[in-house]
Amino acid sequence: MGSISFSHVDKIFGPQGSGVKALDNINLDIADREFVAIVGPSGCGKTTCLRMVAGFEAASAGEVKVNGKTVTAPGPDRAVVFQQFALFPWKTVRENIDLGLRNKNLPLAERDGLISSALKLMSLESHADAFPHQLSGGMQQRVAIARAYVLDPEVLLMDEPFGALDAQTRVVMQEELVRLARRNPRTVLFITHAVEEAVYLADRVAIMTRRPGRIKEVLDIRSIREAEGWDRHPKIEDVMDLESFVHLRTHIWKTLREEKDFQHV
Amino acid sequence: MLKALAGGLFLGLAPGRKPAIKVATLAALIGLWFLLTTVTGAVTGGRFPSPAEFWTSLVQINTRGYAGAGLVSHALHSVKLVAMGFLVAIATGVPLGLWMGWSRKVEALVNPVFLIIRPIPPLAWIPLAILWLGLGDAAKIMVIWFSAFVPSVINAFTGVRNIDRPVIEAARMLGTPRWRLISEVIAPAASPMIFTGLRLSLQASWTTLVAAELVGALVGVGFVLNMAQQDIYPGMILVGMLTVGLLGWGTTVLLGMAERRALAWNIAARD
Repeated sequence: MGSISFSHVDKIFGPQGSGVKALDNINLDIADREFVAIVGPSGCGKTTCLRMVAGFEAASAGEVKVNGKTVTAPGPDRAVVFQQFALFPWKTVRENIDLGLRNKNLPLAERDGLISSALKLMSLESHADAFPHQLSGGMQQRVAIARAYVLDPEVLLMDEPFGALDAQTRVVMQEELVRLARRNPRTVLFITHAVEEAVYLADRVAIMTRRPGRIKEVLDIRSIREAEGWDRHPKIEDVMDLESFVHLRTHIWKTLREEKDFQHV
Repeated sequence: MLKALAGGLFLGLAPGRKPAIKVATLAALIGLWFLLTTVTGAVTGGRFPSPAEFWTSLVQINTRGYAGAGLVSHALHSVKLVAMGFLVAIATGVPLGLWMGWSRKVEALVNPVFLIIRPIPPLAWIPLAILWLGLGDAAKIMVIWFSAFVPSVINAFTGVRNIDRPVIEAARMLGTPRWRLISEVIAPAASPMIFTGLRLSLQASWTTLVAAELVGALVGVGFVLNMAQQDIYPGMILVGMLTVGLLGWGTTVLLGMAERRALAWNIAARD
């Protein structure tokens, strides 16, 4: 079980009264094992939405709930994958993945088994004893994803996880994430400003306005994906060539373009 | 020793060898010293000792002793005081700095006291320390503690404040309990800055030790310097000065080795 709900959520940064309104009346329900991506111009507050689910920020008004319970603090039931990886540079790959398991007080043998399968899942077996700085950006993000997945979280929160990667690595990671999501479905909240990434990965895409951020439109991608048989194509570039994909992408772009000052094209 | 020095001089002629350049500089300095004192007599023995006078003083303190003891005893005593003052300072200063960095409340509580105490030069504590604890070791350890405490606190504090926010958030998201967060995340993340503080603390420890021993002591390198000044004995003054320099350098090297060991991940990441 891992549902997420935003109801009438406002977020104001700075002092009450004179602060900056970042989010305005956000309403969004994400079902268990649904993959929802939020796209929007930079500074629209999409990352703030994720940070509230993670428990790093509190809502100024309204409620953010996970499984019907109001979020009050961060916890391993809501694993986060950060844009800048946020690995512990003084710990090896294995130790990075192990920390969350140790915090759960699992016995050593069980931890070893879980770490091994997480390493295997992310093709990191040969790097278990490397330090993060010895790995490429793509590899480091694999470690971060393994660190999150190994906890078997109800909710996976991904904050522009591929934003810091080069284009080729990015595509590989996107395909990998789809593979992972199929094998072991999780509720995912995915923040990105890359429209194609959102359409390729998500069941639904929420489009936000510029500040103060509101949800302008929510698109159902899943029904189109299933109707048009996107999953028959193993490669991302083939899916991106399909007319149904292009149509959705263009629609989202146009919607975003209507937002003044939108700079990401 | 001589052979190594000669080898160093020879290597000094080869271009692009940094250790060789260091040895050559040192050799040139000694040569200049010899030239100014012994060869030309431009600097008289009453102002600065010649190499021969320095050597005589070095032999004297090592065979017959000076200021009540041999050089080794003086040096060991000074090292002991520095080590104790330094260790007490970092054992108290680093945790306080980490705590202040972590908690705005603790910072707000401690900072006013710190702002008043910090501008007081450590040496200004010497009269009070002697009044409280006498001329013995305890007063000197206290003064060293005070002087080495401040850089330890400030750098540990800054180290915590400079930690990337996502690193702490990642640890909290993983459900890391408080004590483990401090020992496995906060402290290692702040450790490059902590070590910067330790180096400054060590330097402050030696400065303060010599000053404290100059004012009142019965043994130690600072006491040797003080006695040599009263005896108008430039050769012995130089022995004391070089001993302090050598001990300070040696302890800094030891700390550097500990740092390289502890921060292997960081040094490799920087390169």
